[in-house]
Amino acid sequence: MNETTSTASRRHLPHKSGAEPLVSARGLVVQYGDRRILHGIDLDIYKGETMVILGPSGCGKSTFLRHLEALEKPLSGSIRIKGKEIVTAPTSDLLKIRRMMGISFQSAAMFNAMTVGDNVALPLREHTDLAESTILLMTRMKLQQVGLEGVEEMYPTQLSGGMRKRASLARALALDPEILFFDEPSAGLDPIIAAGIDQLILRLKDAFQMTIVVVTHELHSAFRIADRMCMMDQGRILAVGTAQEIRQHSHPRIRQFIGRIAGKVDKASHQYITGF
Amino acid sequence: MSFLDSVGRAAVRKVEYVGGLSIQFWHGLRLSVRVSPFAGRRLRWKQTVEQMAEIGVRSLPVLCLVAGATGMIIALQSGAELRKFGAMDAVINLVGTGMTRELGPLIAAIVVIGRSGSAISAEVSTMVVTEEVDALRAMAIDPIEFVLVPKFVAMMVMMPCATVVGVLSGILGGGVFSYYALDITLVMYLQRTVEILLMRDILSGLVKAVVFGSIIVHVGCLEGFQVTGGPEGVGHSTTNAVVKSIFLVILADLVCTAFFYFFWR
Repeated sequence: MNETTSTASRRHLPHKSGAEPLVSARGLVVQYGDRRILHGIDLDIYKGETMVILGPSGCGKSTFLRHLEALEKPLSGSIRIKGKEIVTAPTSDLLKIRRMMGISFQSAAMFNAMTVGDNVALPLREHTDLAESTILLMTRMKLQQVGLEGVEEMYPTQLSGGMRKRASLARALALDPEILFFDEPSAGLDPIIAAGIDQLILRLKDAFQMTIVVVTHELHSAFRIADRMCMMDQGRILAVGTAQEIRQHSHPRIRQFIGRIAGKVDKASHQYITGF
Repeated sequence: MSFLDSVGRAAVRKVEYVGGLSIQFWHGLRLSVRVSPFAGRRLRWKQTVEQMAEIGVRSLPVLCLVAGATGMIIALQSGAELRKFGAMDAVINLVGTGMTRELGPLIAAIVVIGRSGSAISAEVSTMVVTEEVDALRAMAIDPIEFVLVPKFVAMMVMMPCATVVGVLSGILGGGVFSYYALDITLVMYLQRTVEILLMRDILSGLVKAVVFGSIIVHVGCLEGFQVTGGPEGVGHSTTNAVVKSIFLVILADLVCTAFFYFFWR
């Protein structure tokens, strides 16, 4: 990790003095083959906040999210969720930690062979001993929470893109997670549906005081929902701060990104994105 | 890259693959109890029954046709040669033992590879590509338990059943030939077949069926879980699953046959 980046990110770490972060990454290095994707990421996310991880395509933000979700192991570094290390945790501990999380995938990742109702009920059937009638009731409630009613018997392929994302969110909410991760929630959606998803994220935060981590490159959506933002580029964190702080940041790459200024991609960026 | 280097790398890849298969096999075997109708979750048991229908019941028509035709071919080919020695009766022995020990399990395996091995690989690799496997892990559900185990248990139950049906079809195919060429009634043909068959022949066929079934489901799933890339990766994994399954089934057949030949006479 270069010193400038390190200083930039660490300067913003003490978000709430004395408060223990709910999610904490330290020195996270990720490498696929010879290609380094993340160069020593440090980030703290506190209980009840909405952290938006922002950056251009290919900057490593989705990779970072997959590591926070314990879906992949980094080359080095540490990730703590509620103080528990997840990088070296045995599978049994990892399963317990994963039950505290809900994940809404970019592709929605619904099981196409199951009905929407079965998809949402799946975590309840797997992890609880609730009676089937209670599970069905809870499934209906979760679907209502995301604004979907009467779709239990439909198959995911019969839903629109926005509805599939909502259904995927209902499934993520099934076990009442403490942390909710969103990977590109508005990708591929029209502005009206995307605004609806933003509204839903805000409502979830207000209603359940959930900790929400969102990865996106949609500026409008990011500024609307974020309590704090983490700006990434080329596998490094450029800055962490409130929406206002990021908007006024002096870093040229952040200015370029926020201002949507087309520019010549420098050699390092080009090499990072294309691998050549 | 030197010749030795490339041979070494290829050998390491093969060893890694077999290691992956072995780990997956033990993991799957350990979790198999979860599909039991009494100890397991209802959802898993339901999935297993669905897989039994898919792997076993729906492959029976093709299997009966292929095995029946093979039984007839053996009878025709061997009859042509045995006629020269006046030993046409031996056709019954050849068809009976050949189908029971060898061709019944092998034909059942090849039909199941074509129908279910490729489908398993395509299903699992599509689940990986569309992030469904990640979604399972994110929900703290073991993909091996959810995806592989119902297929594995279904295969372990249905593969011996399919083999029995294949063997019977093959023997009946040979019976049709005997009826016309040897002037033997079907009842007499079956009685003679029952007389010549030993318990060892039947058990060796069933053991092979279990081994082949295990190879088909584990290769299909491993190819699926290891898929990389998008839709073209799904195509590659399906082709690989079929090719590797056929190769490993024939290799396992050789090992089993040698074992029974040397250690269980």
